[in-house]
Amino acid sequence: MRQHRGPAADDAAVIESSRREPERFAVLFDRHAPHIHRYLARRAGREVADDLLAETFLAAFSRRDRYDLSRSDARPWLYGIATNLVGQHRRNQARQYRLGQAAPAESEVPGHAERVVADVTAQAMRPLLDSALATLPAGDRDVLLLVAWEQLSYEEVSLALAIPVGTVRSRLNRARTKVRQVLAGTNAAATYEEIATNE
Amino acid sequence: MNEMELLRELAQETPLPAPAELDAARAKLVAVIAADPAAGRVPAVAEATMPQPDPSDGQPAGPERPPAPAPVQDAVKLMYGGAAGTVVQLIIALFYVSDIHAYHLTLGGHRLTTAQLSDWRPLLVTLAIAFGLALIGLWLWLARAVGHGRSWARVLSTVLFGLATLQLIGLHGAAQVFWAMLTWLTGAAAVWQLWRPASSAFFKPARAMRSRRP
Repeated sequence: MRQHRGPAADDAAVIESSRREPERFAVLFDRHAPHIHRYLARRAGREVADDLLAETFLAAFSRRDRYDLSRSDARPWLYGIATNLVGQHRRNQARQYRLGQAAPAESEVPGHAERVVADVTAQAMRPLLDSALATLPAGDRDVLLLVAWEQLSYEEVSLALAIPVGTVRSRLNRARTKVRQVLAGTNAAATYEEIATNE
Repeated sequence: MNEMELLRELAQETPLPAPAELDAARAKLVAVIAADPAAGRVPAVAEATMPQPDPSDGQPAGPERPPAPAPVQDAVKLMYGGAAGTVVQLIIALFYVSDIHAYHLTLGGHRLTTAQLSDWRPLLVTLAIAFGLALIGLWLWLARAVGHGRSWARVLSTVLFGLATLQLIGLHGAAQVFWAMLTWLTGAAAVWQLWRPASSAFFKPARAMRSRRP
């Protein structure tokens, strides 16, 4: 599951030392910023990822005194902050998001699915998935994407979102079921199977 | 292919950002860090290569300090030797206390009786052990501090050595005098090593680094 850190890296030691020597916090940025940025870009778009990345690390810096030093890996903590900021961002743009993404998606799906068959490209699945994700409750979506995209373990998601591991499991199951249902309802799953078969 | 694999595959379409894309966010963070009241204790340019915490004790190593020069290393060894010599002195002192007779001791101008000595002997043994252990601990503590470049430890060692010279007065028994002199000479050699020019060059940067802190 660990995808972007060396085995000897110890974030807790960096955070602890940054409490006395704040400059050391930049080490944490250098270690994790690329992947946090990519996560933010996936979730909120590249145009706002830069700002959200800065906000993530500024929030982390201001809260470093409260970091639990028994956790050597700071990724769940950073992903948790980033996820909260994405949530805030989405709430700020909730009206545009619902009108501009979810509602049009339903009317576009059938025609779009047909175009997918013609294009025979997995890229065309993205709007369908976006539509499916847009129907999920925010908490379920956070769990699903941290597991699927960032490949965090259930325990790491639990730490990131401050919820029990059991809740992570139940939210993930619920989200996966919902996505399957949406994809099936739009015939996207079959479309994707067809794409995969053709490839 | 299920929905998780589908999500992962499509997520791969978002590449990691180029380093330059992170510059703006990093600059904001560095600006906030610089404004932090605790900032400025180490050079900011060292961020990417700053020393990592010492895994042996979990404390940050701080700015790089050169290794202790040979005279300091010799002084540390001599101080450990002084601790060993004090152990021998303690053993000799315990033999002496157990062999002490009433006519050896006077208190307020009066010689102690055998009964008084018998009452006092446990206290004398306890005091000898406590004093000896304290001295051994002092040797070891100062040796460690000196090895880490603590300037105050060098000064304190010198002062205590001066005081220890007074301890030579009033010793009894050849063995006790011999070991006391040997320990004293060990201390003298250690102090001499600590004040050699190479040692002073080692202690001065440490003092300068601490004086930079508010």
